[in-house]
Amino acid sequence: MIVKEFRELVRDRRTVGLLVALPLILLVVFGYAANFYVDHAEAAVVGPDAAKVAGQLPDFFDVTTTDASATEQDARDMLRDDEVDVVFVTSEAGVKALVDGSNLFAAQSIVAGLNSMGDKVTTEVLYNPDLTTSWVMIPAIIGLILTFIGTIVTSIGLVRERESGTIEQLAVMPIKPSTVILGKITPYFILAAIDMVIVTVLGMLLFDVPFNGNVLTFALGAAIFLFVVLGIGVFISTISQTAGQAIQTAFFILMPQILLSGMIFPLEAMAAGVRWIGYLLPLTYFTMISQGVMLRGAPIASLWLPFVVLTVMAVVVFTAATLRFRRDLAPERKPSKRAGGAA
Amino acid sequence: MSVALRAVDVTRRFGHFTAVDSVTMEVQPGEVVGLLGANGAGKTTLMRMLLGLLPTSAGDVEMLGGPPNRDRRRRVGYVPQNLGLYRDMTLAENLAFVCDTYGTPVPALPDGLEPYARTLVAEMPLGAQRQAAFVAALSHGPELVLLDEPTSGVDALARAALWDTIRGQSDEGVGVLVTTHYMQEAQQCDRLLLMSRGRLVAQGSEADIIGDTRALAVRTDDWAATFAALNAADAPVILDGRSVRVADLAQSDVEGILRGAGLHATVEAVPATIEERMLVLARADARAD
Repeated sequence: MIVKEFRELVRDRRTVGLLVALPLILLVVFGYAANFYVDHAEAAVVGPDAAKVAGQLPDFFDVTTTDASATEQDARDMLRDDEVDVVFVTSEAGVKALVDGSNLFAAQSIVAGLNSMGDKVTTEVLYNPDLTTSWVMIPAIIGLILTFIGTIVTSIGLVRERESGTIEQLAVMPIKPSTVILGKITPYFILAAIDMVIVTVLGMLLFDVPFNGNVLTFALGAAIFLFVVLGIGVFISTISQTAGQAIQTAFFILMPQILLSGMIFPLEAMAAGVRWIGYLLPLTYFTMISQGVMLRGAPIASLWLPFVVLTVMAVVVFTAATLRFRRDLAPERKPSKRAGGAA
Repeated sequence: MSVALRAVDVTRRFGHFTAVDSVTMEVQPGEVVGLLGANGAGKTTLMRMLLGLLPTSAGDVEMLGGPPNRDRRRRVGYVPQNLGLYRDMTLAENLAFVCDTYGTPVPALPDGLEPYARTLVAEMPLGAQRQAAFVAALSHGPELVLLDEPTSGVDALARAALWDTIRGQSDEGVGVLVTTHYMQEAQQCDRLLLMSRGRLVAQGSEADIIGDTRALAVRTDDWAATFAALNAADAPVILDGRSVRVADLAQSDVEGILRGAGLHATVEAVPATIEERMLVLARADARAD
């Protein structure tokens, strides 16, 4: 029985992959990424004494901007647009630190650093004054739920068509491949959108998470992100023969998104090599949009980067996935070199 | 009337493996053509190429007057091996989906299926599932029907009912190509195509294919020991109930094997069955390599 089990295991490449990759991923993630402490913060200093104050700040603060002519309103705009983590506003009345509370772990480190400076600086935390974890987590969890539906549920739904053999029947029927793909994906898009609304509203009602920004900006970001994750789901279905394989593959894709997108561990605290993995993950960019819109009320112009990255990802992933799925519905022009299909 | 389905030198390779090797065949309107062969003979691969679901590595397919494409497939009924029904939908829901896709009215269910209209397909008996797949495949009045192992796993009564449906279609001028590995079903077909290891090794009526091929009927009281002895000697032996038959071996060889095993039996040459002829052809094909 034991020998039989080993033989089966060795021949199941995905399980072997999971057995090898999972410990490695966990080792790398928890070794290099699992760190809540942010050891530096990007800072701007504005107001008449900007240059002087910038020179007196501890090394923890990485001053990227010094602007003597900028006002407190300019400082607030810089935080809203996620240009820095903290802005020191100098005036005759003293120095005031405005901290971006939507960047929770950086804000916690900044506030701790400011407290150690005594009364020299007054502190105001914006967007998340009590540094409540749920306020930061709920916008990210919305993305996680969309990822879950987009990858796991969609891929299972599509692969079921292959498992039951009905995909061949669809190929014989007078339906265009594009119609089949649209018909298969639309329900999941709608279900994910409904889930997103429910989670967002519940998050606001149960945890008092604010929604300071434009709903349409949020909806647009979610729709683009959904195309990315639905594309991943469709892609998984094209490389899986069974629902079990689809779940395994989706798990491979889902786990890094949870651990490395900045949802749990701050990207700034990760080792550079691991952080770049995070920058390749779509959830990282959706989280930027959802936290930006919900907490900071960021306008679309200041979120151009995550919007552009997600749009490129959506076009690439969705196109590749639908082209692969289409191959199951319309015969190739040239024979495939894949084995199988003989009977 | 033009040919319903034609393949000319159709070949399909998967890497170095040739699943279908230069097959030429045709199906006329109103004709029931049986595609026979053991599992792995290439029947399903050939059928998928005929439908245009799998491209050919070489050769041409003509279906209802031209290459198989979506427009022509609209005029084809297809029942795949796994039936192509949604198992977590009811029979009525499945039929509604198919008819909606083809833009045809939902047909009345035959008496045998009426009780299952609101039953999930997964919960229907296999015979009823196969009958339902037929109803779905024929609902749009196809001119050509392709059936892949349509009676596999169903009881004799249900099989007879399905063949009634197939013959009914051919009577209306529909060309039918049906794959099966039940040699008994060969008698139901107008013409047979025999495949072995991807090749078409014979075609014609059952009588044409069998010709004067003879098999050996071995009569014995100890059929189990007789079968075991012949099988151990690598003879092409077939057990039909308690009756032992041998194809493609000389009578003297069979008698010699049985004598060597200390078994008493009478061996008589009799007309071969289609299954035995198939065995002879498959062995000849293997020897040719």
